Amino acid sequence: MTAADGVATGGGDPSGSRGGAEEIHPAPTGFLRRYVFSTDHKVIGKQFLFLGLSFLAVGGLMAMLIRWQLARPGVPVPIVGNLLFGRAGGVISPAAYTALFTMHGTIMIFFAVTPILIGGFGNFLVPLMIGARDMAFPRLNLASFWTMAAATAVLTASFFVPLGPPQAGWTAYATLSTAIGAPGVGQTLWVVAIYLNGASSVMGAVNYITTVIRLRAPGMTYFRMPLTVWGFFLTSILNALFVPVLAAAMVLLFFDRVFGTQFFVAGSTVGAGGDPILYQHLFWLFGHPEVYILIIPAWGIVSDLLSFFARKPAFGYRVTVYSLIGVVILSTVVYGHHMFTTGMSPLLGESFMVLTMIISVPTSLLFLNWLGTLWRGALRMSTPMLFCLGLVFTFGVGGLTGLYLADVVADMYLHDTYFVVGHFHLIMAAALLLASFAAVYFWFPKMFGRMMHEGLGKLHFWPTFITLNVVFMGQLLIGYAGMQRRLYDPSAYDFLRPLLPLNRFISHAAYLLGASQLIFVVNFFVSLRWGPRAAKNPWGIGTLEWTVASPPPHHNFDRIPIVLRGPHELGHPAAWALGKDWLGQDEGPERASADDSTRTRTSPETPPESPS
Amino acid sequence: MPIVLPHDASADGHLVDGVIGYLTLTTGLAFVAVLLFLLIAIVFHRERAGRTRAHHTHGNRPRDRALTFAVALVMFIAIDLTLAARAAGELSGRFWRYPDADPNALRVEVTARQWSLTFRTAGPDGRFGTSDDVVTLNELNVPVGRPIYFKLRSRDVVHGFYLPNFRTKIDAIPGSTTRLWVQAQEPGRFEIACAQHCGVSHYKMRGLLVARPEAEYRDWLARAETDSRLRTEAADPATREASGAWDWETGR
Repeated sequence: MTAADGVATGGGDPSGSRGGAEEIHPAPTGFLRRYVFSTDHKVIGKQFLFLGLSFLAVGGLMAMLIRWQLARPGVPVPIVGNLLFGRAGGVISPAAYTALFTMHGTIMIFFAVTPILIGGFGNFLVPLMIGARDMAFPRLNLASFWTMAAATAVLTASFFVPLGPPQAGWTAYATLSTAIGAPGVGQTLWVVAIYLNGASSVMGAVNYITTVIRLRAPGMTYFRMPLTVWGFFLTSILNALFVPVLAAAMVLLFFDRVFGTQFFVAGSTVGAGGDPILYQHLFWLFGHPEVYILIIPAWGIVSDLLSFFARKPAFGYRVTVYSLIGVVILSTVVYGHHMFTTGMSPLLGESFMVLTMIISVPTSLLFLNWLGTLWRGALRMSTPMLFCLGLVFTFGVGGLTGLYLADVVADMYLHDTYFVVGHFHLIMAAALLLASFAAVYFWFPKMFGRMMHEGLGKLHFWPTFITLNVVFMGQLLIGYAGMQRRLYDPSAYDFLRPLLPLNRFISHAAYLLGASQLIFVVNFFVSLRWGPRAAKNPWGIGTLEWTVASPPPHHNFDRIPIVLRGPHELGHPAAWALGKDWLGQDEGPERASADDSTRTRTSPETPPESPS
Repeated sequence: MPIVLPHDASADGHLVDGVIGYLTLTTGLAFVAVLLFLLIAIVFHRERAGRTRAHHTHGNRPRDRALTFAVALVMFIAIDLTLAARAAGELSGRFWRYPDADPNALRVEVTARQWSLTFRTAGPDGRFGTSDDVVTLNELNVPVGRPIYFKLRSRDVVHGFYLPNFRTKIDAIPGSTTRLWVQAQEPGRFEIACAQHCGVSHYKMRGLLVARPEAEYRDWLARAETDSRLRTEAADPATREASGAWDWETGR
């Protein structure tokens, strides 16, 4: 295949990249333009990453407080107790506890995981991996970050208003989230913050979709894109379609709270005729795709990284892509399983049960392909690989426990118990955290031009992996024994009292989990300043971001690369002839040793990737 | 500290336990298989001296694809489809077959509010919202061996009516009526929990279901008709809704 073919099939960059003589904007020199109001996707990516990591710390500390209360109900919190809960003598009050779990969920989902993976790595990686100089809409990108920043400001403000922060849970079910259950300004600010957060997500999503469709380098066909890019692309489609549904729910809830409308308000206390169930439909119509919005980028990243560190191509690349697409489509029609206990009609309940179960087919194909990638590889146990293997494990447990909740009969018992908490934390906390850490360790050299410390990375991995599993599998057991979610003091129930020792054990594991993150913080900041300089391609990988300097220059590519093959050409026989085990996506014959007959003969090195 | 399911006091709870047991067995087996596979790969397919080259395959041959599809399909049939078929049968045969036509069933109107439960059963006249109703707060007395048919409403926010010893729950939702039926198999005092976050004192929204043998239940009912200490408010037809009563049949 020639470069011209690539242009014809790939669609690629229309901006005259073929000649390589296109205009490159100079990097901004002023501090504000360069670091604060930057339109550079790499800077915006780092801004999102830092914002997300900061809120991850905040949300994590809240989890520690929640665990303290569950381990020792009513005992003053040590060290920070008097500072945070001075009026209660350092004890977490029921009101403070409800605020804590509400904000923990909100922060982790909307202000930690979303910015880290989608905002941070999505921004940084998508243009670099498809061979583009920036996002399609750099200023929209800037607006996306600063809208998110505004959302965080509004959310933070809710701590300082009369009646305190929101307390209706991260799901904010009506009518608890309306004036009936939450009269304070805090809940209104929560609604505004979620709306702004959603606006930011949609701006980002539109940008990623356009960038992937329009700015792929010549020859970068869809089926030559790294799976990481596939992940961000598909997630963005879900984001663009379903975050507006959440926004609609927030607008209606805002109207109910502020203007006295009654979309969601009902019950004899107020004599109104709205429908609280409508809120749940809107919320979960967004909320279930949201789970996949968060996990699909992680799946993409892990699918790539497993291949990179097994030193062989991703097993069944196309099946993986079609599985991801299948999950995206199915994720839009399964949300009803969040509402099995609302008394939905039998037909609806059974339909949602079967649809939910069908989603396990593409998911298991994806999972089996991961195993296929590892099989007969030459596994390099670097830190990113450890985190990826950890994800395979936790995602296995998290995914399989989902079946319990898909089944209406089992769900009648397990719904709203800690089994649900354990299940979704295994995926949305454990798997996503492991993927985020894998991504940080892997792309840190490209982002900041320095290597992270490998030994500290491994020291970070083991306690993190073990305690994550202990904590969340412990929650599965607690839920199996019947404990409901969001209980301030489980000992109010006789049947939950025997669970206190296990709750205490889980809490101790959680403290250890929190403490071991300090290793990461130290590693991150010390490496940022003093880490050894990173080479262009420290891992020996063929994707495009590793063909440019670390960190990449402002314009990413001096010449837009011409892509000749897929992203996973590791262990390729033609590469061994060159004395290495990988081929770059844009590595042409002219870069190979000219006298190597095996190299020049095999121009379409990737028979499976030829467009069909 | 044994971690076990709460004691099962219901007629149908064993069906739920059966599903959970089947799932634990099948997903456990699947997970052990995955784990073995992973361990073998990690131990034996690691890069080391003498093993520097990975087996080069894209996994795109028909044989590779057929293998992955076959495993996924077997999993789907053995776990998902089996369970879906089983659940569909149990739902239409038991859980969602409400005892509407059963004159023997004890009908209970449940009104949830922050943070208590009001139970109302019809008196000797068999009608709800009359002065002989037996209304109790947070404690419900039922006979063993008869279907107990709940209809639930909420006055303020969404609550979750959760019976751990009966393996079931249903939400109580403002503005609509939901329903649930169970049957106690043995006498005893069983906790009723709130499963849906309903505000600051959610954790204290606890009720008690007291199952008594039929004769003892009748005895209790006779006493409740006269002893005001056993029940709360009498129904005032003028404030039926406020006192937690409505028309059983029409839900109004």
